[in-house]
Amino acid sequence: MAAVTATGAANFDDFDRSKRLQGEITKRYFQSLMAPRSNGQKIGYGFVMANPIEFFQAFDIIPFYPEITSLNISYRGGSPPLIALAEEAGYSTDACGYVKMGVAAAMDGTSTAIGKLPRPDVLLLTYSGCQIYIHWWEQLHYQTGAPILTIDVPYVREYDGHVEPHDVRYVASQLEEAIPLMEGASGKRFDENRFREIMRLSAEAWDLWGQVIEMGKLRPSPMDAYFEAIYYMAPITIIRGTQEAVDFYRFLLEELKERASHGVGPTPREDYRLVFEGVPNYPFFKKFWNLFRGYNARGVAATYPKVAGMIDTRSFRLNPDKPFESLAEYMIHAYCNWNMPMRTRLLEQYVKDYQADGVVIHSIKSCRSFSMGEGDMREHLAIDLDIPTLLIESDHVDPRYYSEAQLRNRVDAFFETLALRKRS
Amino acid sequence: MQASPSYYAGIDAGSTYTKGALVDDRGRLVDTALDMTGINIVTATKKVYGLLLQKCGLRESDVGYVVGTGYGRYRITFGNSQVTEIGCHARGAHHLFPTTRTVLDMGGQDTKAIRINAHGEVVDFSMNDKCAAGTGRFIEGSARVLGLSLKDVGELSLNSNNPIKISSTCAVFAETETQEQLAWGNKLEDVLYGIHSSIATRAIGLLRRVGIEPEITFTGGVSQNPGMIRSLEEQLGHHLNHDSKTMFCGALGAALFAREKATNAPETEGRAA
Repeated sequence: MAAVTATGAANFDDFDRSKRLQGEITKRYFQSLMAPRSNGQKIGYGFVMANPIEFFQAFDIIPFYPEITSLNISYRGGSPPLIALAEEAGYSTDACGYVKMGVAAAMDGTSTAIGKLPRPDVLLLTYSGCQIYIHWWEQLHYQTGAPILTIDVPYVREYDGHVEPHDVRYVASQLEEAIPLMEGASGKRFDENRFREIMRLSAEAWDLWGQVIEMGKLRPSPMDAYFEAIYYMAPITIIRGTQEAVDFYRFLLEELKERASHGVGPTPREDYRLVFEGVPNYPFFKKFWNLFRGYNARGVAATYPKVAGMIDTRSFRLNPDKPFESLAEYMIHAYCNWNMPMRTRLLEQYVKDYQADGVVIHSIKSCRSFSMGEGDMREHLAIDLDIPTLLIESDHVDPRYYSEAQLRNRVDAFFETLALRKRS
Repeated sequence: MQASPSYYAGIDAGSTYTKGALVDDRGRLVDTALDMTGINIVTATKKVYGLLLQKCGLRESDVGYVVGTGYGRYRITFGNSQVTEIGCHARGAHHLFPTTRTVLDMGGQDTKAIRINAHGEVVDFSMNDKCAAGTGRFIEGSARVLGLSLKDVGELSLNSNNPIKISSTCAVFAETETQEQLAWGNKLEDVLYGIHSSIATRAIGLLRRVGIEPEITFTGGVSQNPGMIRSLEEQLGHHLNHDSKTMFCGALGAALFAREKATNAPETEGRAA
């Protein structure tokens, strides 16, 4: 258990073991993927949002996410050479950074900051909320020859968030129809019992992750639900459907409860409670965090850590007895698949439920599906609802769009405004 | 026995100019000072502070507290604390025009729209995105290619009877855009007014983001440009408050914050250098 010194002062490192455990899980995951494949192990490329990882796993296919490798490479400072390679090949500076990095990494002879990426055996195309991704997967198909399996996911059209049963059936039936193709790509027969077991384990991890997220409601919040949650969300994305993922979230939940009982958190005090919207900046992740940490501000709720699944909104619940339908509901309720009124209402709800002082929107140049409409979100929150809301801009992977002085100016001014509100 | 300091200073280290302002113990503006920022912010801020003291016939010991603002605020070695120029422009504009509710600050590299309350406190703000398009830098680029001063381009633009439409506000391409328009045979004053109009349109977009509530006060270096004032007023259909002191609003606001902070400043918070 975590150590508390004789003076009663707690050492934060002792309450930060989950992040190290997450680091080990991610490292192991990458090592297993990068290792030469002598055992016939198959790899399927997928997207983070709306990705039926459980379906992959039912065929013993390891899911691999070029978005996650792009962010990992960026976090290690390795994005500029890949972006340059793609731009030399003709991609526009305005094209998505993830796409450019993914295409460059798949070029012959390219090595990245995390090594040479494995080639796909199948490309699963579930392009919720992002049209550009269709062309990314097509490009990867040209580069690698791997077959594309497209699952068309309808948009959440109704402003009240309800989804028609025929939309759910539409997605579920596509998954069912994909079974023969997956059998062909994996060389494994579909085992429905195994699929249900994976779904059960996944549902358990989702439940625990949902409880983790809700810890941000405590005052003070024992975690930063944006900057720390970005580490914590890795297992639910890459290894859910396994006992290891369940164990990780159980461990994390316990650690956060310990933090709460010892009054420990990611900043010395909690002076401000913030809601975050948008993808963070990965090349300068810690500097970016410090802009807020310096004010003893903690993210208490955020939309981005839900890109793996909107678990806290109760939009879906995986059901081993209805594996295809419940997986379809999960896929439809991907964050960028939601309409703008729903996304804006969610931020408003977070401010209320998590007793936040304000909202920070980090818009990124190269992702339209995330950043589109964020100006309107800001206006609605700031003007119609009188919630202090800051809109700042950089990019998730391209360091050329990160300007520390410009960001600091806006963030400092935002905290001056929050301080005034607290005083009055 | 030495008299206690009874003056407070604000230094606004902007991207183009460094401005200084001094207020007395009742918060009245005593004087202002100005110089180009150049490449060395530290030197520029010291120089402007020295100039300010000299103009007022004061010594450093007469000044009780210094607040730094602007992009170079953390480089003001003699400053006691920092406030962003958003807060400072709001405070300065409110001081000069007490019924101000909306502030438009147009500087060399950014434009800010600020909504304030009856006490001059920031309620909401919006700034141009990271790109400098539509800021004072565009006018600077045009002035440079024409060999004119910033003052001249504003005044010349007022002679325009047939302003042309300029769609590009990219500060980097300002020079070629200006040359191109002249090459088409357009009159100089019409091109210049077109430039001011296109920048005004962008600034008004920012103002709408925070909500336009009169009175509106125009601050920053560009508030001294009559062409920009005319363009903004025409498009907004509103009068803009401005005078010779509005370009010093950031420094003035900082000086007012300095006076406020001095009364609550902890004893240990002495001068840095």
